[in-house]
Amino acid sequence: MNIQFIKSKEKQQIAGQLNEDFGISELNYLLIESGKEKIRGFSGSLSKEEIMKLGKLANIELIGAYLIKKESKTDLRLSFDACIILKDQITKNIVEIDDEKFNSWIRGNDIEVSGISGNPIVKYKEDFFGCGKSNGIKIFNYVPKDRRLRK
Amino acid sequence: MKPLFEERLRKLMPNEEDFQAFDKIVHTGPRNFIRCNTLKISPEELMRRLKEKWDVIQPYSEYPEIILINQDLLPGELGNSREHILGYYYVQEVCSMMSALALNAQRGDFVLDLCASPGSKTTQIASSMQNSGTLIANDLKMDRIAILASNLEKASVTNSVVTRNDAIQLCSKLSKSEFKFDKILLDAPCSGEGTLRSSPKTFLMWNPKMIDKLSRQQKKMLAYALKCLKVGGTLVYSTCTHAPEENESVMDFALKNFPVKIEEIKLPLKTRHGIIEWNNEVYDKDVAKAHRIYPQDNDSEGFFLCKMTLLDEIKDKGERK
Repeated sequence: MNIQFIKSKEKQQIAGQLNEDFGISELNYLLIESGKEKIRGFSGSLSKEEIMKLGKLANIELIGAYLIKKESKTDLRLSFDACIILKDQITKNIVEIDDEKFNSWIRGNDIEVSGISGNPIVKYKEDFFGCGKSNGIKIFNYVPKDRRLRK
Repeated sequence: MKPLFEERLRKLMPNEEDFQAFDKIVHTGPRNFIRCNTLKISPEELMRRLKEKWDVIQPYSEYPEIILINQDLLPGELGNSREHILGYYYVQEVCSMMSALALNAQRGDFVLDLCASPGSKTTQIASSMQNSGTLIANDLKMDRIAILASNLEKASVTNSVVTRNDAIQLCSKLSKSEFKFDKILLDAPCSGEGTLRSSPKTFLMWNPKMIDKLSRQQKKMLAYALKCLKVGGTLVYSTCTHAPEENESVMDFALKNFPVKIEEIKLPLKTRHGIIEWNNEVYDKDVAKAHRIYPQDNDSEGFFLCKMTLLDEIKDKGERK
């Protein structure tokens, strides 16, 4: 793994954007950029220097958990699990859906919800089921294949 | 069951009634245990939700995260619930939960899980560390790493560093570095005699030649792993097999070659002492402190585990003269 730590200035930008988009106030992770604009968060005790030293002794494949997809500086989409990890902090940009829409969404389908913009977090009953992308008419589905209900 | 396999098992269970109970239960499917992922939800909250769909109980009061689905389920039903999709629980046989309970990782610990995939024990360790400290989760092959990564993701483990290395080579390098661990789990590759209920193909695949080969490999892995421990650090060795060559013989090797002691541990399952004699080999008497888990004692799979503490620096090549 090519380990690229996100510098503090960029981390501040990301934290600010997440606050603006979702109300997230704390991002207590060491942020690491992995492939395809994915950002992972590491809550462990190893410092950046220690991780680099470890990387010289071992083939590091992954660090921490995938949290954010960075489409652009201002377009950040939370991963399915980040929506759960950061659930207590998320206060904005939540779309509640009914049984019918949920049954479609959790099987990987886009759902029609108008009047929404950006990357809304889909809520069903008491749980968050990932973050989609809206064009104002539809919310496009990004639920990972292995996190969908079958049949 | 192959005749030699039966002969060996009968030697381990000389009481006829006991062996018959074993033979009967290994031909039935395992019970449905799950473990609450406390990184995402409390056991109380999960129980409240699951009670709406299943008959669920928490059989061990000291470990509320261990939950038994006390009813028959449709194939795949456990993996196709909303709570599973959200990573609120992990489907895990109760025996396999004992390794992490014995390891007892705490907040802030530096932990190595040497043969981590598929990640059931790794995610359990991360839960007990509450995503603090650092958990190095290693495995050898890319396909196994992919499964491990997927399970860590689903469980929201954020304190892990996943590495892909041969366990012996990794430990060899780490032992010469500043990285020394508070705790190590060596859940060693084994012949799988304890998994007959969930994996009946083991009846057919069982091969006595593999046991000696695995035993040599396990001893080597343990020797290298011990060198990565801090003095006072603990290592849990576990397998899902009954073969003494892969269990007590490995513990005996550690006691005779390294400054370690075997710790007494309390587990929520009925266990039996490690055996101290097998095929004309007599083991160190402390090997009896190890734990054997037989399927007929707990309506579970079979397992072996042992916890040891490193008492002193390992010098030279690590072996005592």
